[in-house]
This record gives sequence, structure tokens and C-alpha cells, in this order.
Amino acid sequence: MTRLVEARSVGRFYGEVVGLSDVTLSVPKGVVGLLGPNGAGKSTFLKLFVGELAPSRGTLTVLGETPFANRRLFARLGFCPQQDALYGEMTGLEFVSFLLGLSGFSRADARRLAVRALERVQLDGAMHQRTRGYSKGMRQRAKIAQAIAHGPEVIVLDEPMTGLDPIARRDAVQLFAELAREGASIVMSSHVLHEVEALTQDIVLLHRGRLLAQGSVRDVRDLLSSHPRKVEIHAREPRRLARALLALDGVASVRVDPARGDGPGVVRVETTDLDLFQSSLPRVAVDTAAGIRSVETPDSGLEAVFDYLVESST
Amino acid sequence: MKSFVRATALIARTHFLRALTSRRTLSCVALSFLPALAAFLVTGISARASAAPLFANLGWIMMLQIVVPLVTLIAGSAIVAEEVEDRTITYLFTRPIPRPALMFGRFLSTGVVVSTVLLVGVLLLYLACGRARGEGAPVDAGLAWPFVTAVAWGVVVYSAIFASLGAFFRHPMLIGIGYAFAIEGFLANLPGKNQALTVQFYLRSLIAQSPSPSWRGVEGFSSTAFDPAGRAHAVLAVILVVVIALGAWRLARRQFELTS
Repeated sequence: MTRLVEARSVGRFYGEVVGLSDVTLSVPKGVVGLLGPNGAGKSTFLKLFVGELAPSRGTLTVLGETPFANRRLFARLGFCPQQDALYGEMTGLEFVSFLLGLSGFSRADARRLAVRALERVQLDGAMHQRTRGYSKGMRQRAKIAQAIAHGPEVIVLDEPMTGLDPIARRDAVQLFAELAREGASIVMSSHVLHEVEALTQDIVLLHRGRLLAQGSVRDVRDLLSSHPRKVEIHAREPRRLARALLALDGVASVRVDPARGDGPGVVRVETTDLDLFQSSLPRVAVDTAAGIRSVETPDSGLEAVFDYLVESST
Repeated sequence: MKSFVRATALIARTHFLRALTSRRTLSCVALSFLPALAAFLVTGISARASAAPLFANLGWIMMLQIVVPLVTLIAGSAIVAEEVEDRTITYLFTRPIPRPALMFGRFLSTGVVVSTVLLVGVLLLYLACGRARGEGAPVDAGLAWPFVTAVAWGVVVYSAIFASLGAFFRHPMLIGIGYAFAIEGFLANLPGKNQALTVQFYLRSLIAQSPSPSWRGVEGFSSTAFDPAGRAHAVLAVILVVVIALGAWRLARRQFELTS
């Protein structure tokens, strides 16, 4: 069966800057999330996917075809780019209708489909306004509308949640899930795990232009819970607190920066079981009377998982 | 072929409406009216100014050598580059259309807008020169018609050159300024055969066939051996086809690296 995308040793360079490096993956049709922090190479990968760019090295096929300047493939794709760019002097309806016209639809059909798409992204109330006057969220929805209006087989969304408020984000996820149920394959990039998780369990992790992992959200969650997490505790009696914390299950290491002057000292803990640590900490705090001022977990984000994975793989 | 024609027509129509309200077009309008403004001032100040020589001098020196290249540079260099700068080219190049349709569509609409603006500029120049109170022949069809033909060819060929620069270079305006001044402005005015390397030479050749004696009074006219009009038409047509073909070829292959 034809795969949604197959990449073999794909690299893409911008002069001396590496956008993607030696990426090999195979993704079946369906919904897949492309995750990675800023600068990971997500947009580069999607630009290769939709044929806006060609690989500098390696081969990449989408639905079995080479994407760059491939009109036959473009008829089957819908792309919502990351850049905040619209034709400002057009109304939302004109913008989507124009692009549908380029996809080969008659003027009447283009208008009908454009209205429908704008309704689906809840922009029908503003479809006769010039896009120049749209808010960031409205612009984002107009971009999504043009990507889905022609009923493409594959919808590619580059950071589609940017600029959307929480309610609009929820609506967007519902819309994408609906489109997936209707049979469309969806590739969505994001640097926020829970945004992708709301839509799919299948993810591809990119970091610094490299493929870090491919699998389910569950695998990432396991990584999140298994890799040592850092906790910083500011306390009046850091040594006493550190001694007690060392006795806790799951604590891998403890470092103490003693108090200087009137300020608190800092206890830096690495734990492999953050939940257990957090549930035990109040009891330890009471028992030691260490005078805890604050507790921080600086590496709780997805970025930390990437860093951990990178460290593990080198 | 059908999808190419269809996409070209749709892009031309859409861009035409955009071009009508763009600041770029306003700049072109302002530049196009400068020769007429100059004629208006001269005829108002000098009682000795004659219509035909004034039209010939301002038309030759100001309109054909400066205004036409500059206006087409402003409008033509934007044909591809504006879509890149605005980062909207992504929408067009991920649709099932032949990529050159972008250049052809916008070239058509730009050609219509710029031709209209420049021909209005020529008309205003004609009207302003008509105010001249000095002795001498009026501006007649023998004087004006070859000039209008040269301006029309200038619009088409220069726009095509500057549009194609947009398909090759990230900053076509800068390259275009260099071309307009170094090649068309400088080389075209050097004595000798090097003039034949410029578009200006062939535009002037069209005017040189005019029966009106007023053109012969223009600086540099009588010292140059111009080509016959038929050859000038043919060379301009060849330049147009080659330049457009090169631009379309490049556009079909170029990867535009847009920032997010």
C-alpha cells in the first residue's frame, strides 16, 4: 500500500545552514504529528512534503510521487503554511475562491466550496471583509480554510494553532478530527505536545534537523516519566533538606548550593519519579523544618525530552 | 495547456484588481506624468517654446530614456518578487498550475496597467506641448505615432526583462537599477556600435523612421546610424520571447526559501 510519506537519507541545506540532516522515515496514511522545538526542521520537512522545496540530498516521496513542482500531487494536497501571509486586499471569500480557481474549479463551484470551508473554520461572518483587517486568529483560520476547501486527500498544517485562542484551538482540533474521519490524511506540526496529542497518537520527533524518534505519544510520555527530571528547591536549611531528600525513592542525585548571606540556599535534585517526589516533598519539608521558599521544575517541557533524547543518542 | 491558459487568466484578472490600488502603481502614475509637467512648466514660462521640438525632446530624453525604464522597473520587477516578498508564492506554487502561469498572468495585467498609465502620460505630454506659443509645427501623427509605438514596445520588453530578473534574483530591483542605468542609460548614449546592445537603440530606431523633422533636432539623433523599423521590430520581438522564455524556465525550477 502506498505510504503517505517515505524519506530516505533526506537532507536540506540553506547555504551552510542545515535545515534537515539525514532523515529516514516512513509514515502510513492517517494522522501524524510532527513535533519539535523551534528550529527543529519541521517547516523544512513540510516544505519538502508539499513540494515547495526539493531535498539537497536523499529522496522523498509523498503518496508515491516526488513532490517538487508536481502538479498531479498538488491536486491531492492542501497546505496551510506557517508564514502569516495573505493577500491583504482580498476578502476572505475572494482569497479562498481564487485559490480554488487555481485548483481547477469553476467560479460557481469555487465560491460554493469557499463559503463552505469558511463556515467550517467559523469565518463565514467575516468572509466579506478584507483579510488586511483580520486578527491573527482570523488570518490563521483563513489559511486553514484554503487548505481544506478543495477536499484534499492529504492536509498539511504547519503550526496551525498559532494565534488561535483556547476555544478556537479546541474547535480546530475538532475540525481536523472530523476531516480525518472523512478520510483525509493529516500531517500537523507543532512544538506543543498536548496540541498534537489531542489529534493523534502517532508522532514524529525532530530536533536540530534530525529525526529523533517516531512512534506513539505514549512512548514520549514514557520518556517524559523515565528520564531524570530536575527540581530546584530554595530553602533556608538546604543541607538538612538534602540529607532527607537523598533517602527518598527515585532520587538519583542531590546537589547543594549553600545559603549566602540572608538568601536561601539551593538544593538541586534529579529524580526518576517526579510524581512520587512531589507527593513526598511536603512531608519532608515538615519533618526537616528546612524553610522551603520555592520549588521549581525547570525541565518539565517537551524541550527537556528532546535534550534528554539527544544526550542519550550521543 | 488548458490549465496554463486558465491559471494565467485567473492570475491576470486577480492581479489586475490588486495592481489598480497598489502604491507601486501610484508611483508609476507620478513618474509617467513628469514629462507632461515639465512641458507644462516650459510652455508656461517660455513664449518661444515650439510644440513639436518640445514634444520630441521631452519624449526622447525624459519619457523614453528615463520614465519608461523606471516605471517598468518598478512594476516589472514586482511581477515575481512581490509574491516572494509577501510570502504568498507558497499558495500559488502548491496548487496544480504550471509555475510560469504566475509570471505570464502578472505580466499581462502589469502590461495593461503600465501601458495605460504611460499612454495617458504621453497624451498629457501631447496636450501640454499643445500649449506652446512659439512658431513651428504642431505635434502631428507623423511625430506622435512612432513615439507611441516605441513607448508600447518599451513597456512590453522592459517589463519582461525586469520580470525575468525576479525569477532569477532575490532582489531584482537592485539588479534592474544597475541594468537600467549602466546598460540602458549609459551604453545607449555612447557613440559607436555598442548601442545596438541596448533595448533603447531599437526603440529609438522605431522613432528614427518618423517623417517628422523634429526628431532630427534631438541631441544625438543625427550622429547615430539606426536600424530600419522592420529590423527593430524583429529584434525587440526576439528579445521579448527569449527573456520571457528564460524567466519561465527559471521560475519552473527555482526553489524559493521563504522565512516564516
